[in-house]
Amino acid sequence: MASLGAFLLLLSFIVAAYAAAACVAGARRHSHRLVESGIGAFHTVTALLTVASGVIVHAFVVGDYSIKYVQRYSDSVQPLFYKITSYWGGLDGSVLFWAFLLSVFGTVAVSVNRERHRELIPYVVAVTAVVEMFFLFLMIIHNNPFDTFITQTPADGRGLNPLLQNFYMAIHPPTMYLGFVGLTIPFAFGMAALITGQLDDSWLRAVRRWTMFSWFFLSLGLVLGMIWAYEELGWGGYWGWDPVENAGLLPWFTATAFLHSVIVQERRGMLRVWNVTLVILTFLLTIFGTFMTRSGVVQSVHAFGDDPELARLFVMFMVGVALFGFGWVIYRMPMLKARHELDSWMSREAAFMLNNWILLFAAFFILFATMFPTLSEAVAGERLTVGPPFFNKWMTPIGLMLLFLTGVGPLLAWKKSTASNLQSQFLWPTVLALAVSGALVAMGVRVWVSGLCFALCGFVFGTIAQEFIRGAQVRRDTTGTDLVTAMVGLVGRNKRRYGGYIVHLGIVLMFLGFAGEGFSVDQQVLLKPGQEATVGAYTLHMDALRVTDDGQKQMVTAHVTIKDSSGAVLGQMHPAKWFFRKHEEEPTTEVAIRRSINEDLYLVMPAFEMQEQSASMEVHINPLVNWVWVGFGIMAIGTGIALLPETVFSFAAAKLPAGATAAMLALGLALSPGAAQAQHVDAPSAGIVVQRNPAERAVTKKLACWCGGCSKLPVDECTCGHCAGVRQEVDGLLAKGMSEEAILQYFVTQQAGQHVLAEPMSGIGRYAWLVPYGLGATGILLVGAAAVRWSRRRHEDGEAAAPVADSGLNERLDDELRDLD
Amino acid sequence: MSSATSTKAVAARTAAAPGPAETTAFKPWQFFVLAGMFGATATVIVATGQSPAGIVTLSLTVLAGSLVAIGAYETLVPLVSPDATHAPKLIQGRTRAALEREKTLALRAIKELEFDHAMGKIADADFQDVRDRLRARAIGLIQQLDAGGGYRTVIDRELEVRLGRKPARPADAGTGGGTAAIDTDPAPAAAGVCASCGVGNDADARFCKNCGSKLA
Repeated sequence: MASLGAFLLLLSFIVAAYAAAACVAGARRHSHRLVESGIGAFHTVTALLTVASGVIVHAFVVGDYSIKYVQRYSDSVQPLFYKITSYWGGLDGSVLFWAFLLSVFGTVAVSVNRERHRELIPYVVAVTAVVEMFFLFLMIIHNNPFDTFITQTPADGRGLNPLLQNFYMAIHPPTMYLGFVGLTIPFAFGMAALITGQLDDSWLRAVRRWTMFSWFFLSLGLVLGMIWAYEELGWGGYWGWDPVENAGLLPWFTATAFLHSVIVQERRGMLRVWNVTLVILTFLLTIFGTFMTRSGVVQSVHAFGDDPELARLFVMFMVGVALFGFGWVIYRMPMLKARHELDSWMSREAAFMLNNWILLFAAFFILFATMFPTLSEAVAGERLTVGPPFFNKWMTPIGLMLLFLTGVGPLLAWKKSTASNLQSQFLWPTVLALAVSGALVAMGVRVWVSGLCFALCGFVFGTIAQEFIRGAQVRRDTTGTDLVTAMVGLVGRNKRRYGGYIVHLGIVLMFLGFAGEGFSVDQQVLLKPGQEATVGAYTLHMDALRVTDDGQKQMVTAHVTIKDSSGAVLGQMHPAKWFFRKHEEEPTTEVAIRRSINEDLYLVMPAFEMQEQSASMEVHINPLVNWVWVGFGIMAIGTGIALLPETVFSFAAAKLPAGATAAMLALGLALSPGAAQAQHVDAPSAGIVVQRNPAERAVTKKLACWCGGCSKLPVDECTCGHCAGVRQEVDGLLAKGMSEEAILQYFVTQQAGQHVLAEPMSGIGRYAWLVPYGLGATGILLVGAAAVRWSRRRHEDGEAAAPVADSGLNERLDDELRDLD
Repeated sequence: MSSATSTKAVAARTAAAPGPAETTAFKPWQFFVLAGMFGATATVIVATGQSPAGIVTLSLTVLAGSLVAIGAYETLVPLVSPDATHAPKLIQGRTRAALEREKTLALRAIKELEFDHAMGKIADADFQDVRDRLRARAIGLIQQLDAGGGYRTVIDRELEVRLGRKPARPADAGTGGGTAAIDTDPAPAAAGVCASCGVGNDADARFCKNCGSKLA
């Protein structure tokens, strides 16, 4: 079977090469049959890769351990579900999966658009086939998933990494890949438009849905990754700015920018060059994301280790794509030029331009910060680490600005808004924002970032509500129906716009969740059976520490009863540590979470002492965190509505699978605290709340975990054993009377070459940061300059607004306008 | 199985292409799928001793093999069949479609503007100003489309070309190079209408972009 698989890969490569060549030759020589044959070959690649996928899945299912990849990522005791998902559990298989998905998407896209975009199709096939060839090439010469053991075949496999044996982790990579791979299709269409020179909006229409679809799956992938991190990694949060998380976020930003700037091109014919550039950039970032994940160029929890040869291949491919793509853009530049006119700074176009700039800046900033360790190593020979606090510090204002624009954009009209209109438009959203701020101040909330975020959330919510209500009122007045019917009609008639608003609503809820982090409570306690500790409004009562075994793993579970402040029992929680067979040295931390709509109580047991029956517990109270998932559910519904075909009316939205799935996901997570159980408590004695020294916390906040396994969290928050040691060491050093600076310096010297600081403090680190900011500033200057030029051109044009006199033509125009409804 | 469905659909279309008379005939993809099913069944019988999940994946893999056969068939058949299905392109298609699109865009912009105005987003004076400009542009486009002839004329002309009554113009040029660029800002009124073929051109055009004759 293994040799069949390898043969299929080789054959796929040859057939893909033929497909690309036949299509290009056919298009250039106007030979219909060559193109047809090329398309046939393109479908054949899909079929071949389907069979190859079948072969590898079969090998996993029957446990064919003669194949190295199967031996490495599965074993006989693994449940069937995880055996199948092991297909994409490692590097080689995930490359095959990438290629397989790409071929399926390509086939679907080509079949759907074959008649409508006949001129583009040959080049779409060629571009997609070349991308497929790259991944096939990778597998054939470097990462063949069908490699076998030459001599001794092991009797059993090594098993999938226990951290990955989690439902969310099993479905997170495929959704991520659906997003990544889906974004190749817009790229292929964009390139085809550039090559054929048919640069009107038709290619945009072909890729609009693909982009939205891919964007949705990218978002879903990111959220699943967040849920996984929250439930599995056990550090109390969901986003650690890990290089691989960032890799998914980069194309998400550019794809979001593209989804917005497409609207400007459709409405106003502006930003054509920009849109093509964004498509190419997004594709490059998806490849870069795959590269970053797979080559180990930046250390990360997911990276599969250092591999310079793979890195070289990826770099070559990316340089090739960039040269080819941007080369065509430059070549076609004269044709891409459209008449730009910006009537006013206070217009939706201007808001879109600003939004694009911020999104792109965010992408660039994250790219730079993620690559910083590698860059600093290349430039200064020292690997400087950038920890989550740094990202949080700089991404917070960017996020808030985006949130603000989300509220402002819809209030502005296309072309021009004036002062009096702005007043009437901004009144209610601003009132709502002020009301929220007032309420927060009255409630004594003093976390200004979160407070600002809440106020902005109020503002955006006001905007969305106002758009829906006023739109429905206008429609009610013109159609003469009631408000609800008018609203349904409104959404049905303009699904993309109002679907988009619903997506914005989801974003608002997610931001609520993000802002909740400002109020989180973390504490460490040490408990023995019978002891109690109080954290926030909860009292934890330790019942027992038990050891069980289910054949695949040994489980050490703490049984904890949770009570509220009045002493009433709320439920039982069971944080645990699991030791998987063959992976005993890397136990997984099983988090216990008590969800509610206000806050989560999140228990982790990082360490335990079996003989003394004591367990140290990390207790996190995470306010509003569930709104992040709920917000995503709403976002999915919005995307679903926007994706509905023109002919389907909006009330069919409930039937939509994408929306429904995500809503189910959100509901599935819902928030069912365990049934309260009456417990008999024998005179509980107090547990030890591990009081952490504030001076120690101040120091450890500035250190990033360098154990290699965690995602470089601040030592202060990290739950790994290594960091517990570091914290003790810091305590000791502080006791010796060392200053903060001296302690930091001590760790830097101790870990020579591998920087341990959460933020760059000195030397090249300090100046390197000028680069993204410099570029960001240049970007906004360029946007401003373009806007000034375009608005000036418009004034020079002085297009006379003389009404057309011909009444016959005017009537016809009115008729056509009526028909448009 | 989306790939399977789409491949089959393509195969069905190819097979049905020669004429409506063949629609009831046995199509090649049906043969391959049947063969695949036989293969899968045979696999189930032969592969005794494997786990049920193993047998399922194996037979599915064999079934997927029939897709390869369909693909290969589709790749090879066009090569040996005559290149006759190649239809001449709609000569005026792109120009006209682009104009139509431009018009829809202008109409949509007017609609949107009216909606924004009704929602109180734009001042009356600005609304009048922008609307007049947009209406002028839309009317210009309507006139240009009129000047280019109605669809009937276009269809008639197309028919003539296809039937070979008129010497065909270099129609294929659109696929290769940069001829298909459409200016998104067509001139208002019938300024650049070609006298010999009736196609609307840009206001500053000196030669017709369709037939190449000199414009007045």
